Amino acid sequence: MSIYERLHLRADAARLPCRRVRSGAPQGNGTIKRVALAAWGPVMDMWRAIFLIVSLGILTLDAIAQTPQELVQDAISKQQAGDLEGAVREYRQFLKMHPEAAGVRSNLGAALAGLGQFAEAITEYKVALKQAPATPGLRLNLALAYYKTGRISDAAAKLVKVHEDSPENNQAILLLGDCYLRMGQNKDVIRLLRPEHQKNPDDMAIVYLLGTALIRDHQVDEGQALVDRILRNGESAEARFMLGSAKMEASDFAGAREELAKAIALNPNLPGVHVLYAQTLQITAGPEEAQKEFKAELAIDSYNYMANLQMGAMLRQDQKFDEAKQYLTRALETRPGDFAVRYQLAAIALSEGKVDEARSELESIVKESPQFTEAHVSLSLAYFRLKRPGDGNREKSIVEKLTAEAQAKQPGVKAQ
Amino acid sequence: MTISRREWLWLAGACGATHLWARQGVSTPPEPLFAEVPASASGIEWVHDNAMSANHYLPETLGPGCAFLDFDNDGWMDIFLVNSGPSDFWKPPKPVRNALYKNNRDGTFTDVTEKAGVAGASFGMGVAVGDYENDGWPDIFVTAYGKCTLYKNNQDGTFTDVTEKAGVATPGWTTSAVWFDYDNDGLLDLFVCSFVDYSGEHKFECGDNRIGKKYYCIPRVFRPTASFLYHNNGDGTFTEVSKGTDIAKALGKGLGVVATDINNDGRMDMFVANDTVQNFLFVNRGPGPNRRWKWEEIALQAGVGFSESGQARSGMGVDASDLDNDGWQDMLVANVDHEMFSVYENNKDETFRDVAQANEVAQATRLLSGWGLKYFDYDNDGAVDLILANGHPDDMINEYSMQVKYKEPLLLFHQGDDHRLHNVSDQAGPAFKRFFPARGLAVGDYDNDGALDVLIGNNGGAPLLLSNHAGKGNNWLGLRLEGVHCNRDGVGAKICWTAGGKKRYRLKNNGGSYLSSHDPREVLGIGSALKIDELEIQWPGPGKQIDKLTNLPINRYVHVMEGKGILR
Repeated sequence: MSIYERLHLRADAARLPCRRVRSGAPQGNGTIKRVALAAWGPVMDMWRAIFLIVSLGILTLDAIAQTPQELVQDAISKQQAGDLEGAVREYRQFLKMHPEAAGVRSNLGAALAGLGQFAEAITEYKVALKQAPATPGLRLNLALAYYKTGRISDAAAKLVKVHEDSPENNQAILLLGDCYLRMGQNKDVIRLLRPEHQKNPDDMAIVYLLGTALIRDHQVDEGQALVDRILRNGESAEARFMLGSAKMEASDFAGAREELAKAIALNPNLPGVHVLYAQTLQITAGPEEAQKEFKAELAIDSYNYMANLQMGAMLRQDQKFDEAKQYLTRALETRPGDFAVRYQLAAIALSEGKVDEARSELESIVKESPQFTEAHVSLSLAYFRLKRPGDGNREKSIVEKLTAEAQAKQPGVKAQ
Repeated sequence: MTISRREWLWLAGACGATHLWARQGVSTPPEPLFAEVPASASGIEWVHDNAMSANHYLPETLGPGCAFLDFDNDGWMDIFLVNSGPSDFWKPPKPVRNALYKNNRDGTFTDVTEKAGVAGASFGMGVAVGDYENDGWPDIFVTAYGKCTLYKNNQDGTFTDVTEKAGVATPGWTTSAVWFDYDNDGLLDLFVCSFVDYSGEHKFECGDNRIGKKYYCIPRVFRPTASFLYHNNGDGTFTEVSKGTDIAKALGKGLGVVATDINNDGRMDMFVANDTVQNFLFVNRGPGPNRRWKWEEIALQAGVGFSESGQARSGMGVDASDLDNDGWQDMLVANVDHEMFSVYENNKDETFRDVAQANEVAQATRLLSGWGLKYFDYDNDGAVDLILANGHPDDMINEYSMQVKYKEPLLLFHQGDDHRLHNVSDQAGPAFKRFFPARGLAVGDYDNDGALDVLIGNNGGAPLLLSNHAGKGNNWLGLRLEGVHCNRDGVGAKICWTAGGKKRYRLKNNGGSYLSSHDPREVLGIGSALKIDELEIQWPGPGKQIDKLTNLPINRYVHVMEGKGILR
């Protein structure tokens, strides 16, 4: 199994259906013994097992009446058999009677996640976590749901807590490292994973994440040494991905494109690889080529934030507004409140003549993100179109101020 | 299905030619819309020296401009080509000079640069031609990185450098310039675009030193500057009058400028294309209470300052014309690759909307970087068409881009009966299948056949002269305007003509394109109509004379004087 697949499997775990297995040590009333994951892979998802054990322990302690218990048993059976819709229906039926059953709610969350209904899964996990806050597995599950919906900062926040509570939880460490990497917090990746690398120098997932962070943090020599370690283990998609990322960081777009093409040839399912490749193609080729790759990423992960955002932005530029809105709406689902997505939607509204709708959204955006120059530009334009020159000129002044500030930071200016 | 006259002519010509080939067994292709005139035929042997160095100083990649002008008033368009020259970062190993080519009236040109005294001595960029003294002889203003130059026409085939005396010794790095009469006092004033502050003793360099390569800095890294507006004092001198106006406040990185009238108030406005900062639309509000002229910069609210994503783009070439023939000036700005060019349709309320998508321009220019360009009616069917000259500023772009190249193709758009621009580059001729590091572009009828030809300045290469064969079959009337009360060049004149039941509008803008200056005459296409029913010329101030002309000839140039009509 590849390094990234290990990471991705963990991220997928929340979606996997449960399977009932027999354990030698009966628990509770002995009816439900133990629930585990169907797909363990070489890396044991211990957190998941722990979580489910804990969950069901809570379930047992709830002293459910015979009929409700059978309902839960049936729901679990359905979940294990892949009938997730049926499981969700029965879990919900049960929770109407016993809304306090945090374990069952967690199972409901897992089933919803398995159906790709991450927003609803997150809602259930959050309620369950409120009911049973001491459950580390539950928090990890919530973090995974956030991760899968592209809400990386929310995932990271939960993983930090998991890591604090369970410093030896390797899965949490790796996922947290990956979240930091995705958020561009390279120094945090290094801080988190350097000691882990010393403890587990042969863990290629750690090598991969740490090496990538080091390269992106311009600590190229140390990062390159880790890349070399991966390369010594043979040609791998992850290594090419890392090299591609590093070259992208260095603005060597042609080099990045070459590495990422190789990564895709080695493993077209490597998460994120099509997005980065598409971004190199946006610069070095044309929009058609880039869109093809963004779509390839979305075929793997329909909630990929960047792929949805970029597709939406490109289609908006082509004035294909309806199609663009579909992608942007999906991007907003993964990152609710995201400025970039909301701005794209506001810009579409402005182009479509829905000026007041655009104004409202843009006002909200600039309030939350006062340095967002493009939003000030569009808001100024919206005010002028609404015959509010005073407000338009105020925003225009802000644009000029922000532009001047950005200009002052330019290297050519400083050099003079 | 309707077929335009141009398409019919093309098809008819092609079918006829095919028939002829079949009979004769000769595979001669049909005549292209534009044919390249090689140096061996034109005599234009001059080559631009871009001073390209390993250090990649930014001025190297921006030139050159070019112009059609009739410097000797013989009724035939001559050619002026701008070259680089000595600067604070380059000492030419061999002499580098501009070129003035006299039209021999037989399709060839003779280099008269030395005799004319316009060789230049600085790192030239662009050229603006105008008769600032109203003496009937065109003068030449050359912009530069370093010292710009105003060449006064001595009316004897020579010029005198009057830059200092005239008070137009503009500092810094100037690019495009335009002559126009902003205050309608009958004298051409001068606007000069200023690019970035490149004044550091040690030039800031951009590049990846790890691999030992430097590339041209994106202008974003340099400080913006304000452009200059010179008022013509009427005595051969000028006064810089931008102080205290929006022109001085607007810090930009100007590359292109067109003088036009966006609100039909009879005062010429200016649209300035800026690189990496917002474009400027300076609307001429007339005299202010403090006797200072009032300019209002309205690009943002007009919808032409930024992209529809709210981002400043790399504006380079710019032009204006009444594209949709509604009596209002529409505009155009070319940007760098992946930014697409914008075709701005006038909403008649000092705002514009970008219709580049509907006009096939957005799609066609997605991967191109546009510099010289011009709205013009290349086939004289009466509708405005468009030519674009392109080229990427980074000479190493080929090394990291699969599709964007340093040398890029020209594009030709024809306005169809649907009033949209359609990309007809594939039919335009072999030159449109080649690739160029194109920069400046000027339009002019050098062979006086009524079909506007095209001159393109190539960075570090020979210029490209394209002879127009597309206008054949359509009728036209060429106007050489002469203002009496207004500026002698007639810049700002509104022309309206009716032929074949169609009424057409033309504003005599000035400037437009990039670093370049065009044939000052106006060619009015009338398609298959056999006469012009009526021609009305509304001259700009101060007189604002309206002349209505009838019984007009066709397929020739006429000299029209303000208040006097056609001079026989």
